[in-house]
Amino acid sequence: MADSDISDNEPTTRTLLRRVLDTEAPRTPRRRQSTRAGVQRTPLGTPFSMRLRSQTKTTAGRQPHRARSIGRLAHTQTRGQLKEQTPRTLLENILLTAPESSMVMPESVVKPVPAPQGVQFSRRESSPGSLELQLPELNAPATLAPGRLTSGRRKKRLRLSEFQQGMDQGLPLSQGPVTEPPGNTGASSLSSSLNLTFATPLLPQSVQRPGLARRPLTRRAVDVGIFLQDLQDTSVATALPGDRTPVATLPTDTVLEDTQPFSQPLIGCSPSVHHSIPSPSLSAERTVSRRTWSSGPGLQNNSPRKPAQLLAGKAEEVDALAMGFPNTSSSTSGEDGLEPLLGGVGEEVEERMEESMSLSEVKEAAGAQASARAEEPEAHTEVAEAEGSWGATEEKEPEGSSGDKDTEARPELASSTPEFPQARQLEFLEPAPPTSTAVGLFRQQIIPAPSLSSEPLEPLSARLPTRVQTAGPRLRQDPYKMGLSHYAKLFSFYAKMPMEKKALEMVEKCLDKYFQRLCDDLDVFAAHAGRKTVRLEDLELLMRRQGLVTDRVSLHVLVEQHLPLEYRQLLIPCAFSGNTVFPAQ
Amino acid sequence: MAVAATISQRKRIKRKAPRGFLKRVFKRQKPHLRLEASCDLLVHLNCLLFIRRLAEEARTDACKNKCGVIKDQHVLAAAKVMLKKSRG
Repeated sequence: MADSDISDNEPTTRTLLRRVLDTEAPRTPRRRQSTRAGVQRTPLGTPFSMRLRSQTKTTAGRQPHRARSIGRLAHTQTRGQLKEQTPRTLLENILLTAPESSMVMPESVVKPVPAPQGVQFSRRESSPGSLELQLPELNAPATLAPGRLTSGRRKKRLRLSEFQQGMDQGLPLSQGPVTEPPGNTGASSLSSSLNLTFATPLLPQSVQRPGLARRPLTRRAVDVGIFLQDLQDTSVATALPGDRTPVATLPTDTVLEDTQPFSQPLIGCSPSVHHSIPSPSLSAERTVSRRTWSSGPGLQNNSPRKPAQLLAGKAEEVDALAMGFPNTSSSTSGEDGLEPLLGGVGEEVEERMEESMSLSEVKEAAGAQASARAEEPEAHTEVAEAEGSWGATEEKEPEGSSGDKDTEARPELASSTPEFPQARQLEFLEPAPPTSTAVGLFRQQIIPAPSLSSEPLEPLSARLPTRVQTAGPRLRQDPYKMGLSHYAKLFSFYAKMPMEKKALEMVEKCLDKYFQRLCDDLDVFAAHAGRKTVRLEDLELLMRRQGLVTDRVSLHVLVEQHLPLEYRQLLIPCAFSGNTVFPAQ
Repeated sequence: MAVAATISQRKRIKRKAPRGFLKRVFKRQKPHLRLEASCDLLVHLNCLLFIRRLAEEARTDACKNKCGVIKDQHVLAAAKVMLKKSRG
């Protein structure tokens, strides 16, 4: 029937609506019968109907409605067909059937749905109830129709309310004696009851957010207290570091405030720390020291040394950065990491520190120092102190002798090294012993004689001549080694056999030679073609001469076999929609 | 484009090519030359194939000597052969 109707009519909106109406019936929970009745219509399935069907599937607790609505469905269907008088009627039908599918259909909604008769009405009721559940706010007066939040739905609701009036009279739905303004009776009662149930789910969601927002507040509270206490301490400490070149590390200041470093013990060490600062070559040391304190060496007694060490390290890093030593180890392997570290490590450290810090004493001391440092213009000192304090706070519990500190520093350094790339590890390990010795020196003589500071510096510089002297070779070596080691790992993977470390180094040497040869060949090929830019054709020629690309095996085949998809797409021209080829040939 | 769309979906590439490293190496060696856009990917492919062949060669060398571990002399011998082959 529907088919005939539709075929007769032109594909106007009216027919579409009719189709929707026809198809909607089946989608309502009474799907079973509707499907039978609407088998003819199902093929018509417009997107509306499909969606509605899916929606109805989601709705729950519709059973009582279904039983009633099934009969109604047939009615509606027939009605729909007959009603093709005006679009308005069609729309009304749609509205009647559409709202059924509600996002949230609590089973409680089902209860109010009674009356087998007005299927539409029942649906409306259930839908309004469900809709209202979803929107307890809308519950109020006008909106009968539950369900969609759109204003359009409100209109539907109004209409539904009219129907509902009739329904309510006939149906026991209007539960309760609550018979509010026409149309709202069932809905209102439902909604009111439902709203309560739905009110709660909203809360947890909203509560979750505040939890995250609360986090930073806790930190701030500590800083103020620390600040007040540290004022005295900082004044003493600031005097000595004054001679040192202040390094701008603004981000660290804030970080320091939050941390709770030791106040007194660090003061004595601060001068010593400063002395150790001016060695840009100690950048590695810095990074190492930073790691050490993060890993948690601190002891109260030893905290000064550690913080000194850390401070020195941090100061060095800061100095290096300030002085613009991109070549320093810190910059090389971790330039990206270091810079954000300074800026954000402090924050991270703060977090860590805060978490780890348990004793109030440490916090106060650290905070005092941290705040004191923050005040000082010399950010590096602050940073160092903060670091030291952090380390101290972390290690508060395991108090030990200075020796322990040194030992801790070394294992920590060792542990921290794995974090860095292999190339750096070696370099860091070297400064580790010197730093520990330097720390020992600091320990014994708090007064930082320049000679003392120079002593640790000298051995360090001696051990890392490359770093101190030239940034060029350092840069060349580290990332270059990293790249080669990247390929060396692939070698060990391809070999599928255990390998010695020496063999890996040999592989790296071979790779070095290979790269040189490769560049020379490409240079020759490009020059032969009269170009100064190496192109893909040169590469292909090279591979052909190497015997990788043959008549049987083309370059594209190799690309597909060995490169990941993203690179393949960049290399092999492929046709896309719109008559385009990428990459352009 | 379709390419951009697909790439954005999957940002993590396994076995990434160290494009920056390759470009830097080439620049160091031949500062007067320039590399084209996707040439470094082909260079990376070349390296992969070279290393693959080198590893195979080293493995056969080690197996010939009935060694369960690849030693540097195996690698050295294999490299000699391979560098000769990849003379271009």
